[in-house]
Amino acid sequence: MAEKHNHDHAPMVEEISDFEVLEIAVRELCIEKGLFTIDDHRQFTEYAHNIGPLPAARLVAKAWLDPEFKKLALEDGVKASLEVGINWITSPPTDFGTPSDYCDLRILEDTATTKHVVVCTLCSCYPRPILGHSPEWYRTPNYRRRIVRWPREVLSEFGVILPEGVDVRVEDSNQKCRFMVMPMRPEGTEGWSEDQLTEIVTRDCMLGVALPHPDRKHNAKRPIHKAINPVHGH
Amino acid sequence: MANNTIEAGEAAAAAIDTSSIEVLEGIRDKGRVWEDLCEQYGVKNPTPPWKMSLEGMCDALTEASCALPPVERRWEEDELSEELYLDVPFPERQLLALAHSMIRRNLVDENELAERMKIINKRLNMV
Repeated sequence: MAEKHNHDHAPMVEEISDFEVLEIAVRELCIEKGLFTIDDHRQFTEYAHNIGPLPAARLVAKAWLDPEFKKLALEDGVKASLEVGINWITSPPTDFGTPSDYCDLRILEDTATTKHVVVCTLCSCYPRPILGHSPEWYRTPNYRRRIVRWPREVLSEFGVILPEGVDVRVEDSNQKCRFMVMPMRPEGTEGWSEDQLTEIVTRDCMLGVALPHPDRKHNAKRPIHKAINPVHGH
Repeated sequence: MANNTIEAGEAAAAAIDTSSIEVLEGIRDKGRVWEDLCEQYGVKNPTPPWKMSLEGMCDALTEASCALPPVERRWEEDELSEELYLDVPFPERQLLALAHSMIRRNLVDENELAERMKIINKRLNMV
């Protein structure tokens, strides 16, 4: 503590917002009323921190490389998840199935003639143990209502233009069952390792609203394309 | 089965009283949202520091006590977002909707919440 803290540090929000106070207030009252304990909350929050899409990306990469594993993944998603460190049955914090995520994962294989897309028309059911938190757009009525009615149009808004010969199959998640998409392995990845392949299977690819590409990686820096005719000219 | 679930959700959504709640209205109108704070302080974090705690709270309310099932919570969040919190960004909207659902279900009392917020404000701003 006595050492001087004088190195450059990242900018921080030096202000307490009413929203921050509201979150604490609701939580404290819940604990006092016995709706949950501090320990319950800590365990669920740690769980929320720890989940992400990388296990699912690795599962897809493994399946691309190993036909036997692919067969298992398509037959039993929960069992295949064990190979990438996700146990749907005993995963923390509940030890009897993950919170709000029921123990049935089905993996949908894209082919040259069928493209799968995942939605939850009812609310925002999502395979959180293996894919992390859902993106905000997945929760919006815009996506939930329109993807089932006009899938091609909505996919084109994500930049996925499908040829006429490709059928689109939209799977509706529910309280009993979660889905993820196994996209087709893209050309240009011949000879790649599992680690390399894992890098190009992004979250959106596994929801079905994007296609994997050898040049698009999880951790890629975003390209900057300056406007040719900027509205606010200098 | 799916139809039954949808009907249950619609019934829950129909039951939520979407009239405004004073304490939450004040936060909605005057509270500073994360994207504004980020801009002011030059912070790049996409989500506020309380977001994961909010997720933990939603899960705990589902799993520890079944006080607020997730399907009903999400239905009500959608209803309230359209009716009351349309202009509030996410996840602030999620938090307001959760507090609203809890007050309307008498899990939390509005006055009690307002009082607790005053105490917490004082505690967090103590120097």
